[in-house]
Amino acid sequence: MISDLDAQTTEKALMLTLDGEKVSFEAGETIYEVAERHRREIPTLCYDERLEAFGACRLCIVEVEGIRNPVASCTTQATEGMVIQTKTEAIEKHRKTLLELVASENRDVDVNQLSGYASQELKILVDRYDARSGRFSGKKSGTSNTKDKNPFILRDYDNCISCYRCVRVCAEREGDYAINVMNRGFDTQIITEFNNDLRDSECTFCGQCVQTCPTGALGDKKALRDSDTEGEIEKTRTICPYCGVGCSVDMLSKGDKIVGIQPAMDGPANEGALCIKGQFAFDFIQNADRLKKPMIRREDGELHECDWDEALNFAAAGFAKVRDKFGRHSVYGIASGRAPHEAAYTMQKYIRATYGTNYIDNCSRA
Amino acid sequence: MPSESNAALISRWKDEPAPLLPLLHDFHNRDGYLSEETIRDVAEGLGIPLAELFGTVTFYHHFSREAPGKSAPRVCTGNICCLHGGNELLESLKEDGATPMPCAGRCDDMIPVIIDDKAFVGKTKDSLVHRATPMPAENPGGITECVFSQIREEGRSTLDGYRATGGYAALEKALKGTPGEVIETVSESKLAGRGGAGFPTGFKWKAVADAPGDPKCIVCNADEGEPGCFKDRTIMDHDPFAVIEGMTLAAFATGAPLGFIYLRYEYPETEAILENAIEDARANGLLGENILGSGLTFHLYVRRGAGAYICGEEGSLLNSLEGKHPFPRNKPPFPVTHGFNDKPTAVNNVETLASVPHIVANGAEWYQGLGLGDLAGTKVISLSGDVQRPGNYEVPFGLPLNTLIHEWAGGPPEGRTVQAVTMAGLSGGFVGGDLSEITLDDGCLKSRGSFLGAGGIMVFDDSRNMVEAAHNAMEFFAHESCGKCFPCRIGTQRITERLNGATPNLTHEEWLAEIDDIGSTMKSTSACGLGMAAPHVTESLVRYFPEQVEAHLSKES
Repeated sequence: MISDLDAQTTEKALMLTLDGEKVSFEAGETIYEVAERHRREIPTLCYDERLEAFGACRLCIVEVEGIRNPVASCTTQATEGMVIQTKTEAIEKHRKTLLELVASENRDVDVNQLSGYASQELKILVDRYDARSGRFSGKKSGTSNTKDKNPFILRDYDNCISCYRCVRVCAEREGDYAINVMNRGFDTQIITEFNNDLRDSECTFCGQCVQTCPTGALGDKKALRDSDTEGEIEKTRTICPYCGVGCSVDMLSKGDKIVGIQPAMDGPANEGALCIKGQFAFDFIQNADRLKKPMIRREDGELHECDWDEALNFAAAGFAKVRDKFGRHSVYGIASGRAPHEAAYTMQKYIRATYGTNYIDNCSRA
Repeated sequence: MPSESNAALISRWKDEPAPLLPLLHDFHNRDGYLSEETIRDVAEGLGIPLAELFGTVTFYHHFSREAPGKSAPRVCTGNICCLHGGNELLESLKEDGATPMPCAGRCDDMIPVIIDDKAFVGKTKDSLVHRATPMPAENPGGITECVFSQIREEGRSTLDGYRATGGYAALEKALKGTPGEVIETVSESKLAGRGGAGFPTGFKWKAVADAPGDPKCIVCNADEGEPGCFKDRTIMDHDPFAVIEGMTLAAFATGAPLGFIYLRYEYPETEAILENAIEDARANGLLGENILGSGLTFHLYVRRGAGAYICGEEGSLLNSLEGKHPFPRNKPPFPVTHGFNDKPTAVNNVETLASVPHIVANGAEWYQGLGLGDLAGTKVISLSGDVQRPGNYEVPFGLPLNTLIHEWAGGPPEGRTVQAVTMAGLSGGFVGGDLSEITLDDGCLKSRGSFLGAGGIMVFDDSRNMVEAAHNAMEFFAHESCGKCFPCRIGTQRITERLNGATPNLTHEEWLAEIDDIGSTMKSTSACGLGMAAPHVTESLVRYFPEQVEAHLSKES
């Protein structure tokens, strides 16, 4: 044991020089990761830490001693002894030029923050680099898809900057491969196969593409319904009520109104992922038809409010009556997919022990 | 004969190496275009997500998705063809569904028009003829050549003729020794990448030989897409076995049992020539298993591109071979360790590989001695434009540019003077002003802000409008930008707009500052050579032809 410890302590830590400061790093880390750990706030547009580094936007360039051109820090591995400058005058100038170029290809830089989780990234960087100069004007890239009438995802490609985060999140995180890039150069366009509507593709409307889009080109149509609703957007961290996975979400509200859901990027169970239900199906919460108290349909055919004990006793009597009249197999239990293990266990126990039947199933299968 | 069913075509290719491109070409040949049904079936058959395959198909210029598709004429509107009526020819063929295509590598025998799998040439609709690639003229300088030393010999393009003129002597010699000896000879010869990057060939082969991972692979980059370059076509058409022997030597040196020739779409006749040559070599024990009884295995395949300049970039080329979206790859890792299917791979240019048999046969010292002064070896230059005798010329490194243009190629047309030349096709931009001190080597060209690259030199005489030439060049780069990295995708578009009069509101100072800022950022931050090279065009335009820029801007405002 002692010799192992010795080996550990004598093993030399990997070191590099970051803006003149000696810092340690671990084998396999990229320059960007090391720099972020040391709070360098390197700008990016095509980067999403959940995805493989892509190296498209080139904003994260840094100077490395001994290499002629700046390198993209997101795709370059840190190596022992590297001498890195993250913010020289030349680098900052290139970043500003790049942002001016990006701003020049879009219809808008300012988009509603209800569009999606990352929708303000371009705007924030353009402001930080004072890049609203209007330079490099010319043709706009991308064409908004207005024919796709799906109720969830806005496809406003006039504001697309071809970072392909949507394409990559769909492939790498969701495994759907529903979207890709058509054509090349300035004519690139995000599409499904044969440029059809999303609902005719492999898309599951999980909304991952919407939430990673840094410009609002992809927008959350449901949240955007409340663009003009009065009030500041408030975020409340909670757990998605739909199933037992327990995805963390941020519920967006304006005053008392729930206006949208965003996945929590730091949610331990989901790391920013959601499914169509967790992402878009929240209208039931504040729907006027929703039952909020126990009710019994009395002989007059109308629902009447009651207390829980009365409701449960009424239901139990009803089940018992059915069983007595039609036999034990006349009852069929379907447990909710939202239920955690413990509740699902209790449900099957209840069906089997109370009625003596194995007619028990789950809504994901039924 | 009924055409083959989708299922039959898919099952024929599915288990072959690098199946996507040849499979798509089979469908393209069968139907004349790639239908929705075809794309669906191929996606399912090869296990590629449908949206991804659709995106990949749309990336390639020459894949049609509707009739008349493949049989519609594609007319070269490259820089030089445009000076000789390319656009007018295109216009006259419009009724046949003609579309433009970037430089198709026939600047010594204009204007190429591709219809189905035939490349015709001619300057008017009625004069289009189908003829073989021109043979390089006898070396006007009487220098000792390497690549072209035997290319003009009778029958050289057949296996018998090739062997009768010294072919395969190098391989026989090499097989008696060790792979290390081949690498040593190539290293000592100072042969370096003739596709333009100039990376030392021996060093690359050693890296592949030393890298872990099997099967290793040799890729011949025959995607000669750089405008104004047509040397690889000449080499492959008239000396195909030199390329094959060079690849076999590379396979022996590195331990690679697998090889591909990645050929550009625009050379359909070359594909047939290569396929026949490979078949002959295989039938005669020079490819396949147990080559020349030595136990060496090397399986070689031709894969045809579909119209994408970027596929000459090795990362894009490898992605294209693998059936992926042909974006360049992030480097490192480099192909020598992570190439085709992530295995060690040597990607070498046609000319580089065709030089190798001569070098192995004659020795490293012989090759080194071919250059002038301290410079090692030779380079094939594709000379085109305003010269009396355009064509491919093998020059010793260090040859004065004026010797090539005036003495070898007869100079500009009667009564004209040379205003400018391009270097590296278009990638090196223009060189103007006093050309008398320029020699053909990177040491000299670097001091003029350029480089030799793949060796395409276009000549512009004093009657030419250099802003128009620059616009044509930048339009090409914008057309070919892959769309991955921001500086190139947006920058090539914005510079093109500034050269075609689309920005009348800019003052001259603003115009110059924008061109300069875009160019500087593209050169420093682009992800691959395309975006780094394209700004040479405007940089050199402003440097050598400020008065023409001024005239362009005055006309605009």
